[in-house]
Amino acid sequence: MTVPIRIGVMKLADSAPVIMAQQKGIFARYGLETEIVVSPSWANIADGLAWNRLDAAVLFAPLALMTILGRRGHDTVLRPLSRISRGGNTIMLRGTNPAEGVWRMGGEGREMFDMWQASVGRKPRIAVVHIYSTHLLILRRFLKMIDVDIDREVEILVMPPTDMISAFSKEEIDGCCVGAPWGTEAERIGLAFCAGGSSTVLPAHIEKILVVSDALFRTTDTDQRMFSAMQESLSFCQMSEHRDEITETLALPLPEGGLMLPRQATFRILPGGAAQEALGFASGVVQPSDIKWIINDMATLGWLGHDDCSNLVFWTGSPDTRLVHADTSSL
Amino acid sequence: MKDVDRSRASLKVLVADANSKRGHALSQTLCADTSLEVLTVPAGLALIDAVQLHGPDVVLVDMERADRDALDSIRALSRSALERPVALFVDEDDVELMETAFDTGICSYNVLEALPQDVKPLLRTAIALYGRFRRVRDELAEAQRALAERRIIEQAKRSFMKNEKTGEVQAHRWFQRRAMQTSRKLVIVAQEYLAAQKNGDV
Repeated sequence: MTVPIRIGVMKLADSAPVIMAQQKGIFARYGLETEIVVSPSWANIADGLAWNRLDAAVLFAPLALMTILGRRGHDTVLRPLSRISRGGNTIMLRGTNPAEGVWRMGGEGREMFDMWQASVGRKPRIAVVHIYSTHLLILRRFLKMIDVDIDREVEILVMPPTDMISAFSKEEIDGCCVGAPWGTEAERIGLAFCAGGSSTVLPAHIEKILVVSDALFRTTDTDQRMFSAMQESLSFCQMSEHRDEITETLALPLPEGGLMLPRQATFRILPGGAAQEALGFASGVVQPSDIKWIINDMATLGWLGHDDCSNLVFWTGSPDTRLVHADTSSL
Repeated sequence: MKDVDRSRASLKVLVADANSKRGHALSQTLCADTSLEVLTVPAGLALIDAVQLHGPDVVLVDMERADRDALDSIRALSRSALERPVALFVDEDDVELMETAFDTGICSYNVLEALPQDVKPLLRTAIALYGRFRRVRDELAEAQRALAERRIIEQAKRSFMKNEKTGEVQAHRWFQRRAMQTSRKLVIVAQEYLAAQKNGDV
């Protein structure tokens, strides 16, 4: 009896390539038996990788890097297997937008922030999905671009993306930086507006990557088969004509293999959708340039030392990852 | 928040379980040890706020609590109210204990710079209790599943008896034989029979 490869995902549209690979039998065609583990928190994903309860996960690089370095548990060797998604993060603020559309940088953006803060009536409470997230880095950059000091002028909270809708409606938070489709969903139901996001701060940045455990990476062929299966699924997900099918699959309940994502917002943020911050899918191996800005920003925040940065440069761009074909007779 | 007095004998344990029945049971069990001060997270209070409020030495967390993400932020944010580090317990030389904890759905955090003594027995107690709750839950799920299967089989047999104008023994034999011939479970054969009948194939 084979043991399935356990892949951790969160309830996000970024998980689509893994979900579709499972639902459409792509993993199976590459001879992979897989089990999708939908996690309630990013900490569960990182700890699952650290304590041998997950073999792979869709993750953002900052948390992967901190897990490797043992900054939130014991250190764990993780390998970046494939790119997964680009952009899609939205900076959502509660109430009415004082501007038309996303805010402009510099003094004009600062003016909008002041007007908005006056309407909120307190030091804004802005949530991110995890402290070691691209969301925090994107938010920091955005606030800097409109001359707002993140350390003094806003309060940062952490909560999972699925909780942000109710936190907005209870006015527990005034803003958030969140992944797809939750920002668009907050806007759709009239709770918040989009002031900026990935495309205004760092267009087409790599958002999620697929990381695998060192044990899986070293298992003969498995990493290559998994990489190839993911490339096929990523190609499928990138095509706008598959938007309907992907939306319907992601909206399915968990026992049926979906993520229970809100249908309308998911349809709007997938490739080909009309959302301000549409999500993109990205194929290929993770390149050093994909995470260079992340390493730089993490070093600026004091999370990484000089030695850490030097070591992490070699983390990406595994040269021995090659495509294999789905012909099981050759596996 | 006042600083924790390291010299005191008691250990402050915060139990954070969304399942109030299980959380209560764990608290009761731990309370039997007089060297422990056991606290719980009131409904509606975020985990990070409870940690800031009580300043526990150890936090035992139900892994289904999504707000444990917030504990990761304490060190990074350096919030003045709680500058002490929060680290995942157990240390690397006890991987097995931590893996068992994960299997049963519990996680523990250490809220001091140094690992307090006698924390492992706490985690073992939690593991035992969580394991017991999981077994009860699994047994209940299994009983419900068996009951649901039985209902389907009985419904299919009744339908067969009506269609074939035959008795229960014959109906049972027919489903049993079909299950053996096709190497499938009796309930699957019964389900297919009912589905075919619904579609007018029978």
